[in-house]
Amino acid sequence: MANQLVILNVYDMSFKLLGFLDVKNVPCARESVLYGSLGSLVMGLGHFLATSKYLLLLGFLYYLQEKNSFYLLLGVINNGKSYELFSLSFSFFLSGRVRRSYDVAVGGFICTMLGYWFYCRFNLAQQRIRQRMLQEGMKNRILYEGSYLDPEKEQIGSERSDS
Amino acid sequence: MANHSQFGFQDASSPIMEELMQFHDHALMVALAICSLVLYLLALMLTEKLSSSTVDAQEIELVWTILPAAVLIMLALPSLRILYMMDEVNEPDLTLKAIGHQWYWSYEYTDFKDLTFDSYMIPTSDLPLGHFRLLEVDHRVIVPTESKVRVIVTADDVLHSWAVPSLGVKTDAIPGRLNQTSFLASRPGVYYGQCSEICGANHSFMPIVVESTPLANFENWSSLLPS
Repeated sequence: MANQLVILNVYDMSFKLLGFLDVKNVPCARESVLYGSLGSLVMGLGHFLATSKYLLLLGFLYYLQEKNSFYLLLGVINNGKSYELFSLSFSFFLSGRVRRSYDVAVGGFICTMLGYWFYCRFNLAQQRIRQRMLQEGMKNRILYEGSYLDPEKEQIGSERSDS
Repeated sequence: MANHSQFGFQDASSPIMEELMQFHDHALMVALAICSLVLYLLALMLTEKLSSSTVDAQEIELVWTILPAAVLIMLALPSLRILYMMDEVNEPDLTLKAIGHQWYWSYEYTDFKDLTFDSYMIPTSDLPLGHFRLLEVDHRVIVPTESKVRVIVTADDVLHSWAVPSLGVKTDAIPGRLNQTSFLASRPGVYYGQCSEICGANHSFMPIVVESTPLANFENWSSLLPS
């Protein structure tokens, strides 16, 4: 008992999204989900703001660069259709514009997540190919260094003949 | 070998298994995207008012035709790539015949003269301290590292299956039929597997152990083993 070996299994510390995707141990998974969430937030909020009636006012306020323009904007939104704000806060009733923004957010999440996933996995595959080529090159160097098959030896020999 | 509470794959010990794990991760990511969409649609259905004002819906029908086709293409292309990669016929460095019996495996190295042996599970009562219960065998399959090994699998009596998860190999052993598979052990080590086709009372007690060792050690072993 005193000599019992305690093995810490790194995979016991996995976090599985929806119960099956291990975002900690799968390469690119964590970044894909995080970027997807960010893309979802940006696209959803961007759609909501872009379709806002007060977009022109927002642009005007930005143009003026008022110090308290942010507070003015909040006041304007608050004085607008209040049920839109209510429906933003996960109520059971979704208005058309908010519903569309949610749709865009979910679509943005899926597209951004999958887009980054493909990009990251492609780069990972390229890196693995380079690693394999490097391993093969190192093995060949160990095997052939100094022998008649050594390509560096042929190069040095040709340099000497040129001089 | 697998841990006691392991759900995922074992560490890959062959290039094919690495590719299979990459594809598995890719498939799970696509599954996550689909599940997110389905969960969102489910939440919408639960919160929306029901209405039957839809007459035709050309756009949504276009979407739910093209989207599944895109998903299938995203999954099928890498899958077919690995499938064909697994069936590639390269010149193997070693050919090994694995024959399933009730309830043990026998192996024949036909490249060498009369190199055959049986591989029985070591009973728990005879297991040395620190060895793995129900996985250790008396004679392991020794293969050289980084060499293409072709395994011809068959059976003597009933159906068996020769499987080693970390090498990405699972091949049915069918009486009267020769099934071929191949693998390349990337690194030295000991890889465990178990019979994967129900074959009787002791189906769980006929494991497979493949030991990958550098070529010089393999040559020593093959020369020392009595025929």
